[in-house]
Formats: sequence, structure tokens, C-alpha cells
Amino acid sequence: MSEARAPTEGRRVSRGEVLRRFMVRPEAPALVFLAVLVAAFSLSSDKFLSGTNFESIVISVAVLGIIALAVNQVVLCGEIDISTGSMMGLCAVAAGAVALSTGGLILPLLAAVAVGALCGAINGLLVTAGRIPSIIVTLGMLYALRGVILLVTGGTWITGVPNEARVLGTGTVLGVGYPVIILFALFLVMELVSRHSTWGRNVFAVGGNRRAARFAGLPIDRVRVLAFTLVGVFVGIASVIYMGRAGSVQTNTGTGLELQVVAAVVIGGTSISGGRGSSLAALTGAVLIGVILNGLVLLGVPGIWQQAVLGALILLAVATDVLRRRLVEGKA
Amino acid sequence: MSAAAAVLRRLTFSREVVLLGVLIVLMIVMSILSPFFLTVNNLLNTSRFFVEVGLMSLGMTLIIITGGIDLSVGSNLGLSSVAIGFSFAAGLPLPLAIVLGLVVGTAAGLFNGLFITLLDLHPLVVTLGTFALFQGLAYGATGAEAVSDFPGWFAYFGQAYLGPVPGQLFIFIVAVVMVWLILSRSRFGRYVYAIGNNEEAARFSGVPIRRVKIAIYSGIGLLVGMAAVIYTSRVYTARGDSGLGLELDVISAVVLGGASIYGGSGTIAGTVLGVLIIATLRNGLTLAGVPSTWVLFVLGVLLLVAVFFNEFFRVKEE
Repeated sequence: MSEARAPTEGRRVSRGEVLRRFMVRPEAPALVFLAVLVAAFSLSSDKFLSGTNFESIVISVAVLGIIALAVNQVVLCGEIDISTGSMMGLCAVAAGAVALSTGGLILPLLAAVAVGALCGAINGLLVTAGRIPSIIVTLGMLYALRGVILLVTGGTWITGVPNEARVLGTGTVLGVGYPVIILFALFLVMELVSRHSTWGRNVFAVGGNRRAARFAGLPIDRVRVLAFTLVGVFVGIASVIYMGRAGSVQTNTGTGLELQVVAAVVIGGTSISGGRGSSLAALTGAVLIGVILNGLVLLGVPGIWQQAVLGALILLAVATDVLRRRLVEGKA
Repeated sequence: MSAAAAVLRRLTFSREVVLLGVLIVLMIVMSILSPFFLTVNNLLNTSRFFVEVGLMSLGMTLIIITGGIDLSVGSNLGLSSVAIGFSFAAGLPLPLAIVLGLVVGTAAGLFNGLFITLLDLHPLVVTLGTFALFQGLAYGATGAEAVSDFPGWFAYFGQAYLGPVPGQLFIFIVAVVMVWLILSRSRFGRYVYAIGNNEEAARFSGVPIRRVKIAIYSGIGLLVGMAAVIYTSRVYTARGDSGLGLELDVISAVVLGGASIYGGSGTIAGTVLGVLIIATLRNGLTLAGVPSTWVLFVLGVLLLVAVFFNEFFRVKEE
């Protein structure tokens, strides 16, 4: 983290130095991998490298990317959140129900964000005040929230969501879809928060060395609760985009999403042990997953292999992270 | 020192007594909810369903005692089941196919163990990855199809009865005794506790940490393979999504049985009681007509409550 944030101090740096600084950034391997993949796919299929295909890739990963940006902060804190799949289902149900009864866009969005924030805060409080490891808390919540969805909906779908509530999924500004704009806007916000806000810096401190952070007087519990709550808020926003694109909400909405989110974060280069990573890593990881899934379709690989590819990617990413760290530490 | 050990012994003893009390209360409640619950037939029949979770929980106990976790057991069960079914469908004699299932389960566990120890990675992230990988391989290799034309004798593993007692119950009892012996009466078992209490101290005391960890992750793989044989035989179908979500039952049972999720404590007796409590809950709720999705909700909440009380009382003790 210190290398990644080293100030340039106004002195001139050689080209080799720039390259070295880029390569020690957490998201560097993922970016290189992304570039190689894009090149390979565009050579093997002329449909790949078109503006519309690329926008459709980003739109398809917008929901994943937005949630990954927030889970990234949780992982930076040294925790994990695998409840996001069910949480998004519940938020989408809340948004859909409100949209059907009141219409409009603002109220469904507020409902989804409120439900998400509540779930996220419960996660955070169980982890900090309840002293339960986050993997157990969020595993329990993954199942418990899915139960709540079935309780609330009685197993029926929410269909016929009015068009004005679907704007975030279907609308465009200057030809660019809302999902893309929201994803990049939230990415910029998270980069700024990460670099310039007290909480953003505290997240790195808590994840880097929790004991040291506590002795330095940082509110480690509040920092973590806020991170979990942020996941809920972003899940709420993402669920409205999802609802907009799908036009209906099923009871199994979001199933398996939690795995893709964690995959995006660690593939992008944020260390699973906390304290090292960036918002750019989460974004890169999400786009990388989108490019790979899209490329597999273009190459004619059956969709049934997606899950295996995802699992292999997670393992590859964490192994690369370890080997790279060993290499860097071996040299130093 | 000996006084502290005596107090500790009394606490673990009382914990299992409490669990036994919970189990009895639960059985009384369930027999009030449904008149079919407290019949010998139903109780024996229930044991047909918890053996798979029970076998995996035995292995998971050792893993959680070392401070690790294995999220991939459910996916591994699907993969092993598919290995049995599809190798048989491809012409392999069924006995060899069963052996192949056990080998695949063990190999998957060995893969977890090697990945975790050689790269010094947290078991959480490795088994989250293999959770997806094993499941994906099981789906991909089979094209999401199922095999179910097994010969009649295959039913022996999961559907046979010796008198009124389901056959797999004997397999479970043998496994319980063996794992209990390993954990409580062998040097290996002491190593497992030592790693969970303080890995650094264990390393400096000469405990072969890597070998122990590889052994327990391979061990749970073998138990998953056995569970896959029983499961495939019981439902008479091999499908990639067999065992989906079973990791929740398994982890809940172990944690309910008193194993600390931070490592260092846990017993086989506690885990067996945890398995029985969860099986009673599942069976009783089903008999009472509660939809199966609610069972998931109850299990999720139960897991949280169990861990909360574990850690709450541990903090009190200290």
C-alpha cells in the first residue's frame, strides 16, 4: 500500500521507474491480463472489439462491479462478505414491491438502499459486537436472507415493474447506458474516499494491522461496521439497476452473485488478507470477469463451464498474489 | 495447572450435557408438533438422512479445531457423486466406479490441503475457490445431466436395512469411533489441537504442521467420498448439484457441537450431538409441514446463534 501511494515528489522519474511503480500496484497483473485477453479475443473473433460489444460487457458487469467496489472495502478491512447474493435479492424484492405500489424511481431506490443498509449494518454489528467471524456471519445471512425473501414474496415473482422505476437499468444519457455511468461514478467516488477521507485511510490501517490500528486509537469497530453498511447501500443501488434491466424480480435473484463479487475483488488484486488493494482493482476484476464470460460465449464454450472457470480464476488470482509477494520480498 | 485442567474438563463436560438437554427438549417439542415424530420407525428413518452430513462433520471438526474451514464439501460431494455415476455410465464396473468416487473425493481434499499449505493461504479463500471449481467441474463434465440406471445391489449403501436399522448407520458409527480414536487417543490428535491453539508455538515444538493439515484436508475428502457413495445410492441418482448447500449443515453441526471457529477446541461427542440436533430439527420441521426453504432460514439463524453463544461464553470464561 505504501509503494502504491508513494508521492512523486516532483522529481523526474525514468521510464523504467514508471514501469516499476506500475508493476507494484495491486491491480497491475489484472490490468495486464485484461489487455492480453482483449487482444486475444479480438484476434479470434472480429465481433469482440466493437464499441457496442464492449458497452454490453460493461453493462452486464455493472451490478457485479458496483457491489464489488463496496465489498472491496470490507476485504481491505481484513473481513469478507459472502451474503451479497441473497441481500441483492431482498433489496430487489423491496424495490419491486415499492415500485408496484407507488411507482416512480426515488421511492423504490430509497427502499432498496434502506433494506440493504439495514442488512449490512446487521452483518457489521454481528462481526464487531457479536465477535463472530465475518465468514460465518455472512454465510448464515446468505441463507437466512434467502429465507426472508421467500417469506416476504410467498415464492411468487414480482412482474410488471413500471417503466419509470426501470430507468436505472434501461435509460441512457448521451448514448451511454445508466449502468455504465453509475458504475464509473461510484468508482470515482470510492477512489476519492479511499485516498482522501479519514474512513478511507482507516480502512487500510485496520486491514493492514488491526492491533496497531487499535493501539493508534482508531475506531476499528466503527470502521468495519461502516464498511459492511456500505456494502448494503451499494447492493441496494445495484438491485434497482438489476430490476430495471430484468423488468421483474424472481425469488432466486442474485443466487451465486456473492461468489462472483469475491472473485472480482481478489482477481483484481486486492489481497484477501486485507490492507492491500484499490478500488481500481475491484473495477478491473469485474470487467475482467465480464470479458472472460463474454469471450467464452463468443468462442462457443457452453455456459455450463462458467462456474468452473470462475473457481479456477479465484485460485489463480490468490496464487499469483502470493507468488508475486514472495518474489518482491525475496528481492528486497 | 491441574485445577485449571479440571475446570476446563468440567466445562466441556457440561457443554455436552447441555447439548444433550437441548436435543431432548427438541425431541419433546417435535413430538408435540407431530404425532409421527416420536416413533421408532421415524427416528431410525431419520438416521438415513444425517449420515452424509455426519461423516463430513467428523472431518470438519478436525479442520475447525486447527482454525481452518472447508466450504467446498458440498461441491466435492457433487463432484464425487458424478465421478461414480458417469464413470459407471461410461462402462467402468460399478465397484471400480465406487473406488473412483472415493479417490476423486480424496484427491479434491488433497488439492485443498496442498493449495492451502504450499501457498500459505487462508483455507477460507481456497475452499471458496474450490467450492466454485468442483461444482463447475461437476456441471461441466456432465452437461448438467443425471445418471440413474444403477444395478440393484448399489442400493445396498444407502437403502439397505439390517432389521429395522438403516445400513449406513453402522458405517457412521464405525467412522465416529475411528475419528474419535484419532483425535483423542493419538499423537496426531494432539497435533491437531496444538495447531489450533497456537500454530507458531506448535511449529517451534516440532509439529509437522503442513503434513497434519494436508492429512486432515485429504481426510475430509475421503469422508466426502464415502458420503457421496451413500448419497448417490440413497437417491439412486448421480447429479452435479448433489450436496448443494450441505456445507451449511456441516459447519452448523460442528459449531453447534462446541468447536470454536477460532480453533483450539472441539470434540467428536459435541459434533455428533450437533449433527443429531440438526437432523432432529430438519426432520421435525418437515413432519410439522414447514416448507423446506424455512429450514434454510432456521439453519442460518441457528449457525449465527450457536457461534455467538460459543464466543460469548468463551469471553466470559477468560
